[in-house]
Amino acid sequence: MKRYRLFLLAALAVSGAAAAVDRDTATLELTQAVTAVQTAERDDAARYAPADLDEAHAMLDSAQSAVDGRNWTDVAIYAERAKVTGDLASSRSRQHRAEAATAEIERSVDSLQHQLGGGAP
Amino acid sequence: MKTSSQHWILASAIALLVGACATVPPGPPPDVVRLQNDLDRMHSDPRIASNGGAELANADAAVDMLARNERTLDRRQYQQGVYIADKLVGIAEASALARYSEQRGMQLGAERERLLAQTAVTETRTTTIVTEAPPPRTVVTTVAPPPRVVHTETGELMPRARAELMTMQDQMPGVESRLDARGLVIRLGDFMFEPGRAELTPTAEQSLDSVARVLRADGDAGIAIEAYGDDGMALRRANAVRDYLDARGVDSTRVSARTIGYAPRNTIADNDRRVDIVIRSDYR
Repeated sequence: MKRYRLFLLAALAVSGAAAAVDRDTATLELTQAVTAVQTAERDDAARYAPADLDEAHAMLDSAQSAVDGRNWTDVAIYAERAKVTGDLASSRSRQHRAEAATAEIERSVDSLQHQLGGGAP
Repeated sequence: MKTSSQHWILASAIALLVGACATVPPGPPPDVVRLQNDLDRMHSDPRIASNGGAELANADAAVDMLARNERTLDRRQYQQGVYIADKLVGIAEASALARYSEQRGMQLGAERERLLAQTAVTETRTTTIVTEAPPPRTVVTTVAPPPRVVHTETGELMPRARAELMTMQDQMPGVESRLDARGLVIRLGDFMFEPGRAELTPTAEQSLDSVARVLRADGDAGIAIEAYGDDGMALRRANAVRDYLDARGVDSTRVSARTIGYAPRNTIADNDRRVDIVIRSDYR
């Protein structure tokens, strides 16, 4: 919780204060963004939340392009966007997987109830 | 004179109206209103409100911060704030609905175990049963929750990550774990695979995600995957489990996969196709 409150504060501060964003800060943001996107990929977001994962990749690409231009403020902004969008992709992936698993168990319960006599005892 | 007076009154009224408009602050911008409406909807949904946790608090804080500060932010700051708050609202909703589904899945899983046990009793009492291709079934016994401090079979303190795995059974529907001479055994029942195939079901993937998370943190652990069955299906299933764990960051060089034939009678049915993930205690 604290992490996200700081995250937003940092985002608001970073985006307006170009001089405040140095290379180290931007690089740290970028590293965290890469980790978030990799985590989303590992969480099977390509299957369960493809639009969010694509958006996270696009933001990551923008951040990496800004690195080439040494525009550290843009790097930080796009990296933060990539990170939060990667987190969203992971969350949606978890949601879809949980719903699919629950639906499968529900089908299994229905089938067993049917097998036992057509209804819940 | 009268006309002049009317014009003066009208002009004064317009001036007052314009002045009033200038001093009454405009409402929050549409983006903020939309986010606030989204949060209101989520708070009134019991599935989300009761499972929102830290993510919902984060979203509340983000939107509140944006609403309070939007007038002091420049355009770029504001856009960044809206973008992030929007995603945090999405994260809160998805996380809460995931928790709701996981809890419901656990309740249904318990119901399924009860029905499976009931089905097994019914079949034992019946001398002749003619059914169309009965599905292979494992009667899963629920293991009592282990103590917080867990020891290996040799009496040593179990590594924390492995002990955590034993306490995570309620998060892994259809999975039971136990300690035996081989180490910590995570058992996947036959229904964790698609019928007659080596593909993992979504339930199995969900459970293996938890296993993978722990195994990544327990780098010392060697892993053996033992699939029961005498044909190629068993090995394909063992390999499917190994590949799934590998895709989730568990290095496949730590993992061996093999088939070991059917389990002995009296412990498990001949047609059972279970797969055991053994976290070997002899590996360092």
